Amino acid sequence: MTTEPSAPDEEERAALRDRISADSLTTRRDYLRIVATVSGGLVVGSTVVAAGVLSRHGDGSAPPLKVADALTPGQAVAFGYPGEDDRALAVKLADGTVVGYSAICTHLACGVLWQQDRGTEGELHCPCHEGVFDVRTGEVTAGPPPRPLPKVIMVEDAQGAVWAIGTARSGESERSGLCRGLRASDPALAGAAGCRADEGAS
Amino acid sequence: MSVPEGHYPENYHPGSDQPDLNRPVHERYPQIRATSGYADPRVTRTGPGPGAGTDQQPERSAALSARVALAVTVVIGQLWALTVATDAWMKGSTDTAWWCTGFSVASFLVVVLAWRISRQDR
Ligand code: FES
Repeated sequence: MTTEPSAPDEEERAALRDRISADSLTTRRDYLRIVATVSGGLVVGSTVVAAGVLSRHGDGSAPPLKVADALTPGQAVAFGYPGEDDRALAVKLADGTVVGYSAICTHLACGVLWQQDRGTEGELHCPCHEGVFDVRTGEVTAGPPPRPLPKVIMVEDAQGAVWAIGTARSGESERSGLCRGLRASDPALAGAAGCRADEGAS
Repeated sequence: MSVPEGHYPENYHPGSDQPDLNRPVHERYPQIRATSGYADPRVTRTGPGPGAGTDQQPERSAALSARVALAVTVVIGQLWALTVATDAWMKGSTDTAWWCTGFSVASFLVVVLAWRISRQDR
């Protein structure tokens, strides 16, 4: 630097004139400004995510829903629970267990399909990027999905009809999910059912 | 510097007949600057003499590069924190998501500091 201009204002003006008359270049200062803008955007993004802008399967509770009069082993049924648009999938496994999951892939929200002939007892497969979920637990066994599938809790009544009675989020236990649903609809009943305070706190 | 007699053909004289075109390059093309072609905007005043056309303040320049590197690294950390926040929120742990947001805010402050700390460096 040569002579220091008197006022900082003047100095800034001189710097600006210098910039404008120079060759068009992105300086490292400009990069810093761009990076700072991106950083601020990420703060905003993180805030809206934490505030709950993303939709999450199983938010809101619904009365039990009968999804099928009967299921034979290996058969799957698609339905919407708890809301019409909460696409879900129930499968009766070979040993008679009925499992239910959100049918929306946790990767980029493609539809998850039941593939009976894959894996040892069949698996849930997302064709978009070859995501694979364990049909018994909903855990990711292959591919890019970052989280297990949210569960839909299924029961079979004495007549063999299959009902959806609640939901559990990715990685949440069925019990905790049921308690959360119960607490939302009837807190007294949740206490009576033996839900501890930390179970299903959302 | 005078040209010795006999070095030019007869009736020849260097330069143009139009005096306008005989001005120095800098006067004829003010847009062409000492830095043109160097792609180095840090040079604000160069001149004849040793060091012309090079970094005027190499130590400041290195510090600026370090600041850019730091800011970029911090932003990568923020991207990671956003994925953690999304996963946590989806799993129902809202607290974790808010902690991640706090981390993001702290990172942002670091980036702003790196950007603003010394405004003269370029
Ligand atoms: S959307 Fe299912 S694997 Fe990518």
